[in-house]
Amino acid sequence: MPRDEIPPGTLYMLILRVLARSGEMHGYEIAKSIELRSRDILQVEEGSLYPALQRMLIKGWVKAEWGATSENRRARYYRLTPAGRKQLEQEILQFERVMGAITRVIQAT
Amino acid sequence: MRFTEWFGELGRRVSMLLSGREHFDREMEDEMCLHRDLRARELRDDGAASEEACYAAQRRFGNSLRLREEIHQAWGWNWVDHLILDLRYASRRLRQSPGFTAIAVLTLALGIGASSAIYSFMDALLLRVLPVPDPQSLVVLKWHITTLDDTGPIGGRSVVHGRSGSTYDVPHLGHTGGIFPYPAFELFQKNAAPFSNLFAYYKTDRLNVMVKGQAIVDRGEYVSGDYFRGLEVPPAAGRLISTDDDQTGSAAVAVASFGFSQRHFGGPANATGQTVAVNNVPVTIIGVTAPEFFGVDPGASPSLYFPIHLNVALEGIKPWGFKPARYLDQNSYWLEIMARLRPGVTMAHAQAALAPRFHQWVETTATKDVERANLPELVLQEGAGGLDALRRRYSRPLYILLTLVAFILTIACANIANLLLARAATRRREIALRLSIGASRARLVRQLLTESLLLASLGGALGVGVAVWGIRFLMVLLANGRRDFTVIHPDLNWHVLGVAAALSVLTGVLFGLAPALQSTHVAVAAALKEIRSGESRARSSLSLSYVLVVSQIGLSVLILVAAGLFVRTLKNLQAIELGINRENLLLFSMNASQVGHGGTEIVSFYDGLQKRFNALPGVRSASLAHTGLVAGGNSSTCVVVPGKPVDDRTYYLNVGPAFFSTMQNPIMLGREVDEHDQPKSPAVVVVNEEFVKTYFDGQNPLGHHLTFGCKDSARDLEIIGVAKNAQYGDLKADVPPVIYVPYNQSPVPTFEMTYALRTTGDPLAMAKIVRDIVHQADPRVPVTDVTTQTAAIDHAMGQETMFAELCTAFAVLALVIACVGLYGTVSYNVARRTNEIGIRMALGARRGVVVWMVLRQVFVLAGLGLAIGLPVALATSKLIESFLFGMRPNDPLAIALAALTLAGAVALAGYAPAWKASRIDPMIALRDE
Repeated sequence: MPRDEIPPGTLYMLILRVLARSGEMHGYEIAKSIELRSRDILQVEEGSLYPALQRMLIKGWVKAEWGATSENRRARYYRLTPAGRKQLEQEILQFERVMGAITRVIQAT
Repeated sequence: MRFTEWFGELGRRVSMLLSGREHFDREMEDEMCLHRDLRARELRDDGAASEEACYAAQRRFGNSLRLREEIHQAWGWNWVDHLILDLRYASRRLRQSPGFTAIAVLTLALGIGASSAIYSFMDALLLRVLPVPDPQSLVVLKWHITTLDDTGPIGGRSVVHGRSGSTYDVPHLGHTGGIFPYPAFELFQKNAAPFSNLFAYYKTDRLNVMVKGQAIVDRGEYVSGDYFRGLEVPPAAGRLISTDDDQTGSAAVAVASFGFSQRHFGGPANATGQTVAVNNVPVTIIGVTAPEFFGVDPGASPSLYFPIHLNVALEGIKPWGFKPARYLDQNSYWLEIMARLRPGVTMAHAQAALAPRFHQWVETTATKDVERANLPELVLQEGAGGLDALRRRYSRPLYILLTLVAFILTIACANIANLLLARAATRRREIALRLSIGASRARLVRQLLTESLLLASLGGALGVGVAVWGIRFLMVLLANGRRDFTVIHPDLNWHVLGVAAALSVLTGVLFGLAPALQSTHVAVAAALKEIRSGESRARSSLSLSYVLVVSQIGLSVLILVAAGLFVRTLKNLQAIELGINRENLLLFSMNASQVGHGGTEIVSFYDGLQKRFNALPGVRSASLAHTGLVAGGNSSTCVVVPGKPVDDRTYYLNVGPAFFSTMQNPIMLGREVDEHDQPKSPAVVVVNEEFVKTYFDGQNPLGHHLTFGCKDSARDLEIIGVAKNAQYGDLKADVPPVIYVPYNQSPVPTFEMTYALRTTGDPLAMAKIVRDIVHQADPRVPVTDVTTQTAAIDHAMGQETMFAELCTAFAVLALVIACVGLYGTVSYNVARRTNEIGIRMALGARRGVVVWMVLRQVFVLAGLGLAIGLPVALATSKLIESFLFGMRPNDPLAIALAALTLAGAVALAGYAPAWKASRIDPMIALRDE
């Protein structure tokens, strides 16, 4: 199945979105979740996922805590902060505005 | 909001930094490892072979090390890592060469410490403001005048007929004074529109103060009723002097300083309401000033403040005391004035408004045309820093010291730069290698700069210690026993620490940058091809090193010349022929007139004391005079010798019997004043040789008469003796014509007296018994200024001694640093030329020739330094002319001495490497190839 790269600038929004839905996830779960929800169309590269997560930690949008997986392996779990929730709303608003505009341009007759 | 976000982010970054790099790496590794494993399992579940899956997962992940590095960079702490690396590298390198490190750190510490210490004095003296509200709005009233000269045939040339208070010369502006007649003060009060307040003050003489039965001598200040209101300072207890207190006939009141109240009453509250006797007048203390308040003169710090009009009662009694008529005298200048500008009024405005009024008024006080052509013009000066007498006195010495210290710091920097340059040369291959494998030049420069900044910081840290010590040392040197200095509190405050830190960074960059740029500027391929590292030092780096050595020598020459001049000044002062024997002479003073002794009674009081001192075991002889002879005060007066022009440049000394034998001032002709000279016996006088030269052309003056005193108090005296010239008053002045008059016959009444006791042993051992004797005679009379003649003379030469000693120390330091630099450069050069020298010797060059070859280079460098330094020294030595004595600023001996010292030191520094060069074994040198 062909997989597509995630459009630049939208990775933060996607991570925030899946975290908002599921509460707590570690990196692999986040990547998996985005792939699943996009019906395997979007592919999250590890090389961009982890830098993005760290930048979001710096910004204070997410918090990280070490926990154990169901198989009892050490994993860093990420959770949304109130600032992250606000950021998500803004990113979605902005994305929809831009998407709408692009759609209008390409569908214009 | 934005700020809190930014702050939160900073907090997260900092806590990440604090958790450490290893912790970060481990966490990232754990996280990625889990990811890889889970991905591999997913692939396996999809059917891939387990090994295959593992590789695929890893492939997807990419270079995890690089990823981790990239992520770490996002946190923004890379520079810290680099810094830590650089610091480790730098400290390792510094440890590798402890000799270099020690020299560099030590010279820097001395330079930075000395600069900081001197700066702390400038900070305390020149930059601090009065501890009063809104000091910036205070102005001091002064005047400029073309000349105050009142000598010569036409007499006074200005409206200033009488003055008490200091005036001083200002280059290009003529004479400046800050004293005014009382009517002028009233004029300003009437025209005080630009000011919210105008107040006057002047210093008291030394006062006799009886506190709780104990007699002390202290100083005070007379202040007008608006003084404290104008300065806007609150009392610590009681109330301060107001306008009502400053009227003729007001009750005698005083305000005590906080220190005075603590010293004598245990605190402000206890002092208020107490009565003290000031010059025998009971005065009530109505209040105490705040602890930080010291008046308007940072150099004075009065203990008691009195209303101005109390001066008639306190100091009006003595013959030359304050007479009420002076309040009306328009030509008698004595009152100092300060004012506070109204908000919005500038100093220039106020001056423009007031100066014409003063001009108008002062014109009416002129009595002749010469005075009208030379009227004082009113000027305002900033008053925020208080009166400037102390600043005028010490700012020049401080600037001179600061300049010298700056030179030393520069020499030290040049020296370290030079040593770094030589070290960098040995690293050429290492640096070339690092550049060739991709290190950026900026990164390398940063690394080298880190090393020099680390050195400078070490120097700065140690320098703070030097500064603490230096401040104490300078305090002793500058204060020179002066009481004034209690007000100046130079300390290690934040300004000074800031200066030390700034100097460290500045010097670090200064001596580090050039070598760092130079050494990273290498032709990589050529450097790598070199057989031995550092074999062919780049030509430009060698010439830079020569420039540094020459400039070090040039600066050393400047300091050497300064030291030579100051040392010669001190020697000249010490060589002054005093005309007396300064050893074993105890001096002390007292003023019995302040507590009611007077007339003929005071003479017998002093006489009785002299007899008791004379009888003391351990005292060879005792006498007294109205002031100390050498390094004491001086008093001039009119002396008329029949048939000679009147000259007021003749000085007098009222002396007691046996004065000359006590001082061991030889009598050349006739006899000295003795106990047979009584008030009722014929009036006599002893003159000095200079007097005989001036008035008698060197002829025998015995039996001739002279008139002492100008007006009604004049007295006719017969010359009975000629004394050998003795230094009188100021040490630096030529001996003037002096007459010595028995104090019991003198037309000048007796008040304060200075006793001189010639002792058999240590003079100061007699101090206690002297005090006891005086206390028995009258407990109200305190003994003051107990000192020895030697100490008094040393004290008078305090500043010259300080300059001579400090400058010599500076010169030695500069020379040592410069020689170390020279030695380093020459040694390096010899090492570089080992081959060449070996070949020369193999071809038959003698050792002497090799020594000379190396020394020649040393002398060329030193000669260049001298050629630059000497003209600069000649051009600038005029700046210190006023600090010199007995020679011109371009004293050839001092300059020759400087040049010779330098040549000697340079030869010494150059001989060691030259000798080493001559010992090179040609075989070893050539085999080394």
